[in-house]
Amino acid sequence: MAVQSDSGGKDDVKTQFVTREGTYRLMTLSEYSRPNRVGYTSGSGSTHVRVSLVTLPPGPGGGAPGSDGQGSDDRICFNHGKELYVYVYRGVKKAADLTKPVDKKMYKGTNPTCHDFNTVTMTSDSVSLVIGFSTGQIQLIDPIKKELSKLYNEERLIDKTRVTCIKWVPGSSNLFISAHASGQLYVYNEELTCGTTSPHYQLFKQGEGYSIHTCRTKSTRNPLYRWVIGSEGSCINEFAFSPCGTNLAVVSQDGFLRVFHYDTMELVGRARSYFGGFLCVCWAPDGRYVVVGGEDDLVTVWSLGERRVVARGQGHRSWVSVVAFDPYVAALAEPEREPGEATQCYRLGSVSQDTQLCLWDLTADVLRPPARARASAHLSPNGAPRGAGSPPAPAARPAPAPAAPPAPARVKDEGSGSLSAHFTQRLAGFSFGERRSEHRRNFSLARPAERRDCDPLRLIGTPACPRFDECPVLEPLVCKKVAHERLTALLFRAECLVTACADGCVNTWARPARAHATDTRRRDRERERDRLDLVD
Amino acid sequence: MSICQDLGLNFQQRMGANISQLERDIGSEQFPPNEHYFGLVNFGNTCYSNSVLQALYFCRPFREKVLEYKAKNKRTKETLLTCLADLFYSIATQKKKVGSIAPKKFIARLRKEKEEFDNYMQQDAHEFLNFLINHINEIILAERNQSTLKIQKTDGNKEGVTCNGTIPQNTEPTWVHEIFQGTLTSETRCLNCETVSSKDEHFFDLQVDVDQNTSITHCLKCFSDTETLCNDNKFKCDNCSSYQEAQKRMRVKKLPLILALHLKRFKYMEQYNRHIKVSHRVVFPLELRLFNTSDDAVNPDRLYDLVAVVVHCGSGPNRGHYISIVKSHGFWLLFDDDMVDKIDASAIEDFYGLTSDIQKSSETGYILFYQSRDASC
Repeated sequence: MAVQSDSGGKDDVKTQFVTREGTYRLMTLSEYSRPNRVGYTSGSGSTHVRVSLVTLPPGPGGGAPGSDGQGSDDRICFNHGKELYVYVYRGVKKAADLTKPVDKKMYKGTNPTCHDFNTVTMTSDSVSLVIGFSTGQIQLIDPIKKELSKLYNEERLIDKTRVTCIKWVPGSSNLFISAHASGQLYVYNEELTCGTTSPHYQLFKQGEGYSIHTCRTKSTRNPLYRWVIGSEGSCINEFAFSPCGTNLAVVSQDGFLRVFHYDTMELVGRARSYFGGFLCVCWAPDGRYVVVGGEDDLVTVWSLGERRVVARGQGHRSWVSVVAFDPYVAALAEPEREPGEATQCYRLGSVSQDTQLCLWDLTADVLRPPARARASAHLSPNGAPRGAGSPPAPAARPAPAPAAPPAPARVKDEGSGSLSAHFTQRLAGFSFGERRSEHRRNFSLARPAERRDCDPLRLIGTPACPRFDECPVLEPLVCKKVAHERLTALLFRAECLVTACADGCVNTWARPARAHATDTRRRDRERERDRLDLVD
Repeated sequence: MSICQDLGLNFQQRMGANISQLERDIGSEQFPPNEHYFGLVNFGNTCYSNSVLQALYFCRPFREKVLEYKAKNKRTKETLLTCLADLFYSIATQKKKVGSIAPKKFIARLRKEKEEFDNYMQQDAHEFLNFLINHINEIILAERNQSTLKIQKTDGNKEGVTCNGTIPQNTEPTWVHEIFQGTLTSETRCLNCETVSSKDEHFFDLQVDVDQNTSITHCLKCFSDTETLCNDNKFKCDNCSSYQEAQKRMRVKKLPLILALHLKRFKYMEQYNRHIKVSHRVVFPLELRLFNTSDDAVNPDRLYDLVAVVVHCGSGPNRGHYISIVKSHGFWLLFDDDMVDKIDASAIEDFYGLTSDIQKSSETGYILFYQSRDASC
């Protein structure tokens, strides 16, 4: 099928592309798919091919135990149609061996739609994998040990609709969350049963556009909580925890991004699409920004600190299916800048139904409110250089306040959950919103009791949904057709990036040769030498 | 050649079974009051008309104006508009909630009005829509003219007679204009003298080219891409007083109340000497704003909701079948001639098109009707 030169494929599928860092190359031998691929698999219904990757801790013997002794601690899981595969993932180092899957599953009457590895409980020879299905059920397996197999919502008493996203609660060994097409999120404890009757709920907490319920039973059962989000029955398309686990971002078919403080269950902020549903969501590595993609073909950047849409990226020719930050390039985006400044740059990737991969640079000049004084630029107390190889560590607590106070954006850390109200007030009163109207809105958003309409006709022109010409429009750094089919997954790894498309192929792209890494290493060495000189 | 369903012999039984099913699917409590879901009987390849009529019926502003026309115009001579009004009235006043109706008078009148439709061949639904909207508009204008003429005659004003031949251009917009008419502004920049000239033109629908694996948003953006006029197609620049190379782009200046988008899925292929269906996958969101508006646009961030889609099923313009899906009171219905089914909103993705070009036959969105949210009634 690939040979056919159809009119739609005027521009051929690219196997490499160049950015400032160098050339990214498709590793043709590192293609993962079902063991015996048939040419064309249409009509299989589900095209939600998702990819989960996990790096297992090294075994007691040092080498990788388990299946093959090939020395890779990475495992990859992906679903395609009725099937689900787990392989040893060899990245760019070695070719994929499709003959020996760690585990494979074939389901009847239902399709796996999403999955997630538990990184808290995993050991060198066991890992919990939770899987959501198109008919609402959830399964928990250990693809390595193969002893574990539990079902949740088996009788579909909790929810009958498709599981759209499933994830372990960060840092938890037993709690996971499933999102459904019905517009509801459920918190499960894998150790609890689901009961034999439909759950009776009682209201636990309510806010604008959402409500949270618990089960009314004598003994604790699943689900622990039910979150009803957005206008009635509008599908939750994805959710994501902030890197520190404090905040939960949820995107829905009703066109809203809603960010909650997970523990207090308060709505922290929200954004509205230009039009149509939001389909995907991702947090910046430092938790300051949330990026969403959707049916408006746009990539939308929302600032947590300022509670506003700061930029939109226009480059895709169809709906954006996945957005992801590349934490490994972020600090390198503009090497000339001082380290303190460089952290203001982000690299972002997106894939779409248009079969294209786009990379975007979010630079300081876009993210900074235009009228803001550049006082903060001079201040870079955190001299710690960020190496290429080490992703910015997710801050677990508020960063220590720098000596100079007038830099709230910097002080404001996404991890400062308990302090957020206080900080937000300060922020709102402080510097954001060069125009008075915006200022006022920011301020009002900080108050939880504030009642606001969900009507997009009223939201247009507000920080939650600026008019198109009121907001910077980014162009992609790279925009390449990389598949024949709709793209459905994108992951950034230290040495590669991983894409998947609707025909069930998972591809690995090698990052540019270590030019940059060595570059930074050299710079680091130079810096060290300078320091030594000073000591001398 | 046609695979269009004829008026099936067993349609009575089929109808009976489906109707109760539809009512069951919707549920008696959920069934919207004063709403009727009636299929339209096929008189032999009249699905092109049935599908468009259903879509128009569920464009609420249009339906209301047609019913209003019916109420105001008792006993006038039969036109396509009176037939349409009678048909809509008959659906709207049915005792039963669901069923089917034979648009006999309308089809008969249509065949009289336009030679091209006076046969049993499959027609292009877009051509039909285009004809219908324009024709209705002309009827309204003509009737209005006649009434002003009468007034003028009673006034003894002779000028009215001179107006008779040419319809006065400065007349107020008709309700058809108010619903469907938008304005495109075409800006042309002469590459010699850099002068920009702009010209406005009205439209009842936008006809967009389709690309593989794109969205309607992208197709609309391409519609407004800058095009260079050169070679045989040079631009006559008034400033230079000569033909010059120029750059031209068309953007939307006035956004209509109902935005009708025609996806150009029938492409003339020279090697086959006929039109071939382009089944490319073009996604269309339930909500839409336009990116291709002009700088002086009146309401550039107007928000639209998808209310109806005419779907073409099959492989070519003169074969195949037309159906329509419409949104009514929050749920989606599929009208396939005399049959009506409730469908899930997620089933709409079945009508986006195909990502592979191997299959030639497909069920694809062909005309999209987006209604401005501020028009909701």
